[in-house]
Amino acid sequence: MASAMVKGGGSRLIKSVSAALGTRFYAKVATGTDIVSAAPNVSLQKARTWDEGIASKFSTTPLKDIFKDKKVVIFGLPGAYTGVCSNKHVPPYKENIDKFKAKGIDSVICVAVNDPYTMNAWAEKLQAKEAIDFYGDFDGSFHKSLDLVTDLSGALLGTRSERWSAYVVDGKIKALNVEEAPSDVKVSGADTILGQI
Amino acid sequence: MAATIAVGDVIPDGTLAYLDDDSKPQSVSIHSLAAANKVIIFGVPGAFTPTCSLKHVPGFIERAEELKGKGVDEIICISVNDPFVMNSWAKTFPENKHVKFLADGAAKYTHALGLELDLTEKGLGVRSKRFALLVEDLKVKVANVEKVGEFTVSSAEEIIKAL
Repeated sequence: MASAMVKGGGSRLIKSVSAALGTRFYAKVATGTDIVSAAPNVSLQKARTWDEGIASKFSTTPLKDIFKDKKVVIFGLPGAYTGVCSNKHVPPYKENIDKFKAKGIDSVICVAVNDPYTMNAWAEKLQAKEAIDFYGDFDGSFHKSLDLVTDLSGALLGTRSERWSAYVVDGKIKALNVEEAPSDVKVSGADTILGQI
Repeated sequence: MAATIAVGDVIPDGTLAYLDDDSKPQSVSIHSLAAANKVIIFGVPGAFTPTCSLKHVPGFIERAEELKGKGVDEIICISVNDPFVMNSWAKTFPENKHVKFLADGAAKYTHALGLELDLTEKGLGVRSKRFALLVEDLKVKVANVEKVGEFTVSSAEEIIKAL
């Protein structure tokens, strides 16, 4: 069975073969992709309280504002307030923030198909707001554009993000890791991407 | 699009979700909770938003004993959120004894009630209007649907008057 171990461009061939065999759903993005061009006209919503939403007139953040001229580590996960996301995926990114900064990373971003108010409350619960920038992709448009969605109806979550991570420089993907099973944190963890920067 | 639920209607059946004591997602049918019972179903636009968290839910939590005393068997809060979010939001009300928080993640039940509200501009997507229903033996006795942005008719205070 083709594995989804992704490190650099060789992943594309593995993914294409998997797709041809019908064994795996593959992402539209790979290393070298410009993430802003891959998702044109897409915005994310910065995690916020309702009052902050009112004050900002419920503004959203276009992708280019997040990625242009920046070194970004971004990771996506199935759902705020779910077990693996809360206990295994987010904490190591938070705990290693100094290491990311030492490597010149401008921001570490966490994104999920949740609204920005839920993301904000969750980020506060995890005490991770200082280290990580949390964004909502409330209608899934970001993840759908990148083909990084998965059907988690079995867990009563509906269409959600895959579990994934990426290192993006000035909008270009330098490393991309997509978890084979959304319930695992193997390739999409903080330790793996630290080694890819 | 379903007509808005009204007094005299039979409440539609539908499946809502919750997390059990082992934090596993489970489903429950509305009819299984409402058949042969007196139930209050109140809907909120979103978990972790202010009016819902600070006014609407607390009102029902505070008056739950009173409502039970007047023969209400179930007090159900529904929102277009997933069961993990609903479960975590419910935990922010540690004083809650009786209100059940049920998730209508894909807005199917909200749609069946004709109570959808498009809050895409606020970053919420399609949600539920704010409302409160009193249902006896599956028949809607009271249907209080709030105007957008307000909090008056859908409160616990208002529905108690009907009991």
